[in-house]
Amino acid sequence: MASCDNPNVDSDALMTRRQKYDGKTKICVKCKEGAGNIVIRYAVYCKTCFFPLIQMRFKKSLEPSINPVPDGARRKTLKAGGSLVVAFSGGTGSTALLDLVAKTYFPVRNNGETLKGGKDHPRNADQGVWKGKPAVCYVEVCGAFPGEKDRTEEIQNMVQRYLGQPFEYIPLRLEDSFDPMWWSTIRGGESASFARTLRLDMTDEDLRLTEASSSSFNDSPLNRLKAYLSSLPTQTAFHSAIQNLIRLLLLHIAASRKASHLLLGTSLTSLSVNLISGISQGTGFSVSEEAKEEWYPQPGRGMPVRVIRPLRDIGMKECAMWDWWCGLRVDGQTRHLNGSWKHAIGALARDFIFGLETDYPATVSTIARTCAKLAPKHGSEGTCVLCERPAQDGVQEWKSRISIRSYSEASSAVSGNTRPPHLNEEEISNLTKPSASSTPANSSLTPHLCYACHTLLTSRSNRGTSAPLPTGRAAEKISLPVWVNATLAASRSPGGDEDSTPGEVVQTIKMRRVDMKSQISELLLADD
Amino acid sequence: MQSELFDPGDRVAIGASGGKDSTVLAYVMKTLNERYQYGLELFLLSIDEGITGYRDDSLETVKRNQQQYDMPLKILSYDELYGWTMDAIVSQVGRKNNCTFCGVFRRQALDRGAAMLNVDHIVTGHNADDIAETVLMNIMRGDIARLGRCTAICTQGEDTVRRSKPFKYAYEKEIVMYAYFKKLDYFSTECIYSPDAYRGHARAFLKDLEAARPSAIIDIIHSGEAFEVKKEVKATQKVQRKYPPGASESNALCKACTLLEGLERGMADSGTTDRGRKRLDEAGPAPENIRTIPYFKLPSGSPAIAVETPS
Ligand SMILES: [Zn+2]
Ligand SMILES: [Zn+2]
Ligand SMILES: [Zn+2]
Repeated sequence: MASCDNPNVDSDALMTRRQKYDGKTKICVKCKEGAGNIVIRYAVYCKTCFFPLIQMRFKKSLEPSINPVPDGARRKTLKAGGSLVVAFSGGTGSTALLDLVAKTYFPVRNNGETLKGGKDHPRNADQGVWKGKPAVCYVEVCGAFPGEKDRTEEIQNMVQRYLGQPFEYIPLRLEDSFDPMWWSTIRGGESASFARTLRLDMTDEDLRLTEASSSSFNDSPLNRLKAYLSSLPTQTAFHSAIQNLIRLLLLHIAASRKASHLLLGTSLTSLSVNLISGISQGTGFSVSEEAKEEWYPQPGRGMPVRVIRPLRDIGMKECAMWDWWCGLRVDGQTRHLNGSWKHAIGALARDFIFGLETDYPATVSTIARTCAKLAPKHGSEGTCVLCERPAQDGVQEWKSRISIRSYSEASSAVSGNTRPPHLNEEEISNLTKPSASSTPANSSLTPHLCYACHTLLTSRSNRGTSAPLPTGRAAEKISLPVWVNATLAASRSPGGDEDSTPGEVVQTIKMRRVDMKSQISELLLADD
Repeated sequence: MQSELFDPGDRVAIGASGGKDSTVLAYVMKTLNERYQYGLELFLLSIDEGITGYRDDSLETVKRNQQQYDMPLKILSYDELYGWTMDAIVSQVGRKNNCTFCGVFRRQALDRGAAMLNVDHIVTGHNADDIAETVLMNIMRGDIARLGRCTAICTQGEDTVRRSKPFKYAYEKEIVMYAYFKKLDYFSTECIYSPDAYRGHARAFLKDLEAARPSAIIDIIHSGEAFEVKKEVKATQKVQRKYPPGASESNALCKACTLLEGLERGMADSGTTDRGRKRLDEAGPAPENIRTIPYFKLPSGSPAIAVETPS
């Protein structure tokens, strides 16, 4: 082989359409005896070999993260630093997850008891992998979807078979995220921060915050949830906001139970969907958190919770096979991804990945493997108050520099939407001017947000959302989830802990449109 | 242009395809250069892949741009550089992997063309939609090396001329709008050999995303800029990249050369499949008489070749 002296020797990854399954092999690749029952990534397995294979992958994804400090090559004892919370939605993945967790770590003894003398017996206190009583947690989302039925009891029946074991069932509701009473309960009475409560002005581009006294706080949590969701500018935001609320409800309940681990039933397929969906919504900075995350509650709110997805190496199809062969009842569809929300980015990503999985089965795992090799480019400078994930610095400067807003105005102008037709460019920029640069950081939500959450609250589209605001609610006075309120209140209170002041950490300088325009004037040469 | 891409007096080649992006880019570059006296010396550089009925019209557009904008034009053909037109390549490899050949050859042809023009810099018309699509494609194909650099506004390889994408943040729609208002004529044509189904899926998905929320394109680019390849992955990758199995650093071939060698020896799949590559390696060293691509030297002194100047 001759050399071309080109030092930049590069390998070109090429996507060829691999054969799904040649259809010839009928014998299990593992035991070489049993007749094949299922094809997993081009290989045939029999039913007998399927179960240990799945369980092995499950353990491989989970066990290295169980001990607070990983003990290197071979594990000796599995001993978690806290208790266990398993998230359960009734779907394919979480049904398989709960079954795997129960069978692997809480096997039923002959007499039906898991441990003699009950788990609270001092003799057994130190025997399990996790401390205390493990919990199965379900978040009911029907509050966000009028007309949907409440499945709390139905789900309880589904997990019933495990409740004889040490599991405790904890039903939550989406609207709990707007309920100061709930917050107070899980925070062990912390309620001082609700003497004053913050409202968000969703009509203001700078996301202005105002204070309301708690006496004006007589709305039900459900109404506050509905107002928050319907004030969001897109279906994408509506859908993603719900995912965010579910995630944080689970995290906060985990923290309140001194859990060291929160397990999610995200399959390999769902993980790829989440990754593509997230990247399409600007979450690149926290892309590595999507597979494996260590969540630090705000200072003073307890120990970190590891969010683990033990099924992240197992496809949706294999999860479904597990459920089927184990005789587990699975709830059909993920409801909120259907109907009018099918144009949300989350739903588009799902359809896209499911479509690819049929034609290019390798893609799904490639996406997950690629993203596992990524890390945030810059160190984290703070935490976003809305999603409580690491936030990147300088997000607002970036947005200003590429004049993303002037595009949305320009495109709306072209499509005849949202932009007030009677105002010219100058008048529009005057409208937003007073609340700009001079505004103290604490009266705007913007500096406390990561890129994706800021986009969620501000980025518009022609389609908008279909849900109208509940009567009597104004888009200028939108309540925020209880933890946002608590974090912001803590950062506002004089003499508060310095570390709990995200406003100081993530603070950015908001640019006025005139300044922005002068910066990009060279690019706007169409004016002559 | 805020990224301080150019210095006064730079010689800059505009990669011109006759399509909307490069036509608008040529117009904008010329206008800005004159209005703000950047003092850039601008050239049009066009690649002729040798696809009958595909490039002919767009090359006419490029030639018209040469007249309108009063810029020197260099058209470099695959035939001239590699001895193979795309038509000839397709007749040998079929339509399955031809986009691989075309993409790799075009990239290198632009470098060679730039060397011939002795320019400091190549600018290409890649817009925000293209970059977002590339981010998605690289994630889907697991192309970590490209994923790391595809969002950079300016890149410079060890052996290549500086390349930039001034339209990185410009939506395709904006460019169309601009061309429309400025009454710029361009050619909108898809490569006739192109149906790259996989990329097609990604493109359609991107259009759906944009319809759902127009900022999605910029949001994807932001994502691409916010992450990087983990340090430990980068380290292992370098090793793998420089020493592929059975090759030491000194005899490793770049992609373009591998593809060309495969074509010349009638084993075109050597550049596109592992099996084909193995077959090529087993067939022993390349004969002396096959065509190879001359090694690129960083430009120095005056242009190596004469260019067509507008008459
Ligand atoms: Zn078997
Ligand atoms: Zn956030
Ligand atoms: Zn080479």
